[in-house]
Parts: sequence; C-alpha cells; structure tokens
Amino acid sequence: MYEFNYHRPGTLEAAAAALAAAEDGQVLAGGQTLIPTLKQRLASPSDLIDLGSIAGLDGVRREGDAIVVGAMTRHADVASSPDARSAIPALAALADGIGDPQVRNCGTIGGSIANADPAADYPAAVVGLGAEVRTDRRTIAGDDFFTGLFETALEDGEIIVSVRFPAPRRAAYAKFPNPASRYAIVGVMVADTGSGVRVAVTGAGDQVFRAGAMEAALGGNFSADAIRDASVPSDGLNEDLHASAEYRAHLVGVMARRAVAAAAAG
Amino acid sequence: MDLTGEFHVALPREAVFEALNDPEILGRCIPGCQSIERVGEHEFDADVLARVGPVKARFKTRIAVSNLNPPESYTLSGEGRGGAAGFASGSADVSLEAADDGTVLRYTARVQPGGKIAQVGSRLIGGTARKIGTDFFSRFVEVVTPEPPPEAGKPDEQEE
Repeated sequence: MYEFNYHRPGTLEAAAAALAAAEDGQVLAGGQTLIPTLKQRLASPSDLIDLGSIAGLDGVRREGDAIVVGAMTRHADVASSPDARSAIPALAALADGIGDPQVRNCGTIGGSIANADPAADYPAAVVGLGAEVRTDRRTIAGDDFFTGLFETALEDGEIIVSVRFPAPRRAAYAKFPNPASRYAIVGVMVADTGSGVRVAVTGAGDQVFRAGAMEAALGGNFSADAIRDASVPSDGLNEDLHASAEYRAHLVGVMARRAVAAAAAG
Repeated sequence: MDLTGEFHVALPREAVFEALNDPEILGRCIPGCQSIERVGEHEFDADVLARVGPVKARFKTRIAVSNLNPPESYTLSGEGRGGAAGFASGSADVSLEAADDGTVLRYTARVQPGGKIAQVGSRLIGGTARKIGTDFFSRFVEVVTPEPPPEAGKPDEQEE
C-alpha cells in the first residue's frame, strides 16, 4: 500500500468537501474491492474519505410499497432484514449470495454499485427491480445508472445516499457463480412488477443489461416455457478462462428460466 | 483473443493514413494519454494513465508503427510498463478501404497483459481491451472528421 491521507467525516457535506479538496480523492465504503486494490498497489489515491461515520447512511427501511437501502448497508444486513425479506425476498436472497461472509459483513450496496463491476450481483437488482439511486445531488433511474465497464452515471465527487427498490409482484434472482469468488459468471434477475416484466443480466456483458425479447415473451406468459428457446446473442459478451461468450449466452437462458420458475412458484 | 472493429471515416484514405501516423492525433485518441513524443521515425513514447474501475496506473508506453503499406494498411503496436501494476503489450492491424463517401477502417487487435494486472484482473482483460480499442478508434473518428462547413448564404443577424 502507498501512503494516503485518511478522512473520516461525520456528515455527507463534510465528505463531499473533503473529496473536492483532495488532489486525487477516493471514497471508501466497505472497502472489499478498494482495499485489496490499494494493497496490490494498483491505485494510489492521495486521500481516502471513509463514509463509515456518517449517520443515516445505513439500514433498510420501508417507504410505502418500496424498500429503501442506505448506501452503507452491509450485504448481510440486507439479507437478514425482515423488511427486505417480506417485501422483496429476491433482494434479500441476492444479498445473501454475494461473495463470502467477510464480503457480506463488510461490503456495502453503495460501494458495489459505485464500483460497477460487470460481474457484481447488485446491478442486476438495481436494473431488474427498476430501482432508483439517490445521491447527495439527485435521483438517478436504475436503468440509467450503469453506463459501461466499471462506469456509472455518477459525476465526479457525487456520493450515493440510498437505493430505493419498488416491491415487485414477484421476482427471483438466479446466478451461476464463479466457485472461488462467487462473482456471477451469469446472474439474472427476473421481476414481474405489475406493470410489465423486467429481466436484467449481470456477469455476461461489460455492464448489466436488460433482455428485451425475454421481457416481451414473459409479459404474455410468465412461465419458464415462454422463454424455452430464448437466448441472447453472444456478440460482445465476456470471455475468460471460466466461460466463453457462447457459454455465457446459453447460461443467460438457463438462469432466466430458473429465476422465472422460482418467482412463479413464489 | 482477437478483437475486431469497423469504423467509417468521412475522409479520403490518404488523409486517414496520415492521421494514424500523427503523434498529436494519436495522443488525443489514446484513452488516458497524458503526453506523447516522437522518438524515432516510426516510434513514439507516451505517458498513459490507465483507469479501469478501482485500478489506476501510469504506463510508460512505447508505441511503434510497422508493416507500413500506405495508404492501405499498417500495424500499430504498443508496449507499456506500469511499475508495480505490471505491463501490457498489444498490437492492432489496421486496414483502410476506400468507400464512396470516405474510408472504412477495420482493425484486428491483440492484447497481452503481464505481471500483477494479469494475475488479479484476468476476468476483466477481455472487456477492458475491447473498451480501450473501441474508445481509441471512435475518438480517432471524432478527432479527424472535419467539421461540417458553416451553412452558406445565411445572413449574419448579429450585425443588425
């Protein structure tokens, strides 16, 4: 690790000010990606601004028919939240399947989506459930939040405050995990929102994306049979040691059918 | 892994070829390029700040142009050393085909990372390489495409 200045502000305003004043500042949330990156000397920010002491940034609460998850809420706290489990069990189950116990007890939802790893689980929930991301400046629609490989709509210095997930009529998340890291080789969130079906795919491409053809097919008939022959084109999908682009394209169909079957079974 | 792409440029082939050998233009197209200078007839040194997710590393990069066959094709290659982060090398075979309204640019690129970035980032190398290739050539098209000429015959109302 290289040297850096450590800040632990008590308010969002102080965090934003510290970030703006830093020469090359970096926000620290749960640190599950950032700290290993710093230890490997793959980044050397001048200042780290730790959001861990800011009151009101963590916790899960109900807001009408929606669940609002504070940006600094740990995955384990979403997984065990009675509100999340009753209103959106698919969200709690997704959080329960992220990484390993250390990642789930340190990693946060805000850190995960700000990092926008193409194989992370939460992006599938943000897009698949039609969430909105609230920052210290504005509200960003989940569909507009992820803009590319590790890229988001966040501006320089913008800090995520919470994520609001409207409760769907039914939903489920299915993933084919990398057995070592538990990152999604392919993960699919399927949600019947009441005003349409959303299918969001993570792990397969350079960013989370929606599978429009499957959404249309499921809109008429919410069953695994409706997407029996559906898949996505393999063009541009990720390829690595674990899975070719063609294999990932195939897995998208398999995971989508598993998610639909699980959601339909309730 | 081979990465391929195709772009359309609204310029004649000769002009596109020339631009692809111009360090000033290359510098504006290489993502994260901080500076570039010519060190030989067909060699350039560039300082590139590469940023992928949490990783941010400065690469000292030697860029070379070879297999020159103007104005049809050439090979653009680069070799970067990123200190503790590791190193990376890559090359792109670029071909230019004359079209009615300009030039069709096609490329086939290969990337080979090494050291720490290859160890910890193996699952991301394909996506990152694709992004760098697309960013480079789409910026190139943007940089070299001439501005559309101002509309002629329009009275200048500000003079009133």
